[in-house]
Amino acid sequence: MASETLNERSRRTGRRALFLAVPIALLSIAPLVWALISSLRPGEDIFRFLYPISWETFIPSRITFDNFTTVLTGPFGMALWNSVFVTAVSVVVGLALASLAAFALACMDFPGRSFIFAFLVICFLVPFEAIAIPLSTTFRDLGLANTYTGLILPALGNGLAIFLLRQFFMGVPSSLAEAARMDGLGWFGIFWRIYLPLSKGPMIGAGLILFVFQWQSFLWPLLIAPAPDVRLAPVAIADFAQETGVNYGQMFAAAILTAAIPLLLVLFFQRHFSGSNANSGSKE
Amino acid sequence: MTTIQAETVSGSPPPTRRKPRFGAQRANTLMWAGIFLLPSVILLILLRFAPMVAAFSDALAFGSTRGIWSNFSFIFSDPAFWNSLWITLIFSIIINPLQIALALGLAVLLTKHIPMVGLWRTLILLPVAVPQVVSAIIWLVLFRPDGPLNGITRALGLPSIPWLTEPGWALWSIIVVCSWVGVGYWMTFLVAGIREIPNSLYEASSIDGAGAWRQFWHITVPGLRRPLLFVLVADTVSNFLIFAPVRILTRGGPEGSTDLIMYNITERAYTLGDTGAASAATLVLIVVVIAVVAVQFRLMPGKD
Repeated sequence: MASETLNERSRRTGRRALFLAVPIALLSIAPLVWALISSLRPGEDIFRFLYPISWETFIPSRITFDNFTTVLTGPFGMALWNSVFVTAVSVVVGLALASLAAFALACMDFPGRSFIFAFLVICFLVPFEAIAIPLSTTFRDLGLANTYTGLILPALGNGLAIFLLRQFFMGVPSSLAEAARMDGLGWFGIFWRIYLPLSKGPMIGAGLILFVFQWQSFLWPLLIAPAPDVRLAPVAIADFAQETGVNYGQMFAAAILTAAIPLLLVLFFQRHFSGSNANSGSKE
Repeated sequence: MTTIQAETVSGSPPPTRRKPRFGAQRANTLMWAGIFLLPSVILLILLRFAPMVAAFSDALAFGSTRGIWSNFSFIFSDPAFWNSLWITLIFSIIINPLQIALALGLAVLLTKHIPMVGLWRTLILLPVAVPQVVSAIIWLVLFRPDGPLNGITRALGLPSIPWLTEPGWALWSIIVVCSWVGVGYWMTFLVAGIREIPNSLYEASSIDGAGAWRQFWHITVPGLRRPLLFVLVADTVSNFLIFAPVRILTRGGPEGSTDLIMYNITERAYTLGDTGAASAATLVLIVVVIAVVAVQFRLMPGKD
């Protein structure tokens, strides 16, 4: 009886919240929609219908996929593939390393733990862009210029991902690990069988950090991998904008393609964000 | 009763979380901790720490006639550097509370029982996926004097707005571009945090007659302490490092009104070729960032 009124009340709040959520959602998506529409227009139509505003401002009267086929078959297609490969490797390897380190820092007792954690915090505070110049000199000396390895390595030492996972692991009741140890489970078993299954959400969050870092990195690939066969998508897009007589249609097509892959990932992982979260089953 | 308990506790050895272990077990723990941590620690040393040391040695002017600290005295006598610090300070004071308040508000909103909540959350999340270079290019076109935003202001009968060309507007335009991506990104961590808060707490307080506002301050905010600390630290740090939007939209102008510190440093290193001054400015930035974060750690109630 009481829970029914509560449910009703929460549904009423939800309907009221709708009036806030819908305008915010439309506002935040509008720039992307405009970029998408522009990418489907012939180049000369993009700025034609802005003022005065008419139906043609929002709905393209002539739709063409030429912009997309042109950029995909050109050098940009290669850059997009490079970005996919480099980012995929960075996320998978980076997550494995970061989650193991976070687990050790959150759950294991050993001398020097707080020292290592302080070191880690200082490391993630150091802006990567700031150290990119000295680091790129080192990488060139090591022969890593214009290689996938040179592009992937900097994404792996990610203190932020470790920090995030550690914060979550610390919140898992330590009684779980203690019980498992009593039952004879080793440290890797505790990590693999207890902590990882509980941390789907935070792992996706840390994966997002690694993904965002690598997918949108711009300064580093510019410094270390300018060669056309290893060039990444953001660098290729910036090249578009710097051309004289910019082809806005093709630029927007490249922009939409570069945004599309992370967009699809967000749509896919959306379910994991909204799915029921880890329930430790502990009353603590 | 309480006194007796307190005395018993203080009389006995401090309670330990875990039972004392045998030496072999401790060695086993140490070994596994080493295996788990070593790859990350080595990478962090090589990729973050070593270049920082290199930046430090670049900043110190060994063998210069004007003394070892001449790069520092140079930047601190440079009005452009002071301007850049000032702009960065104003930018941080506006953008961090703004983004965190919006992210927290949206996170609370989107964990309510809204019809089709998944759709709205997805739409708000989508800009997160847009790379900085791409978003800067989209907004560069949106902000054009003849662009869509001024099309809207003119349709509303308002004058055209000099989004990127007037010192009073340009920094706000940068703030808008950064927040378009930032708010949704930080929101994801807070949404995850709100889901960790047991529903029973809200139900119980509802039965006790607590309103939404009281629930927000007494259940949601305390329950979000860890993710909020994370978002506070990480958002502040990332906003100190804004570079691509400045580079693509304003190049620090007009009149230095958007000359954020990262752009200032990069200009010194790449355009002016003054590695020494750039490294000195980098070290100043690192010290400021670490100081701000240390203060935030202190201000946050409770342990870590």
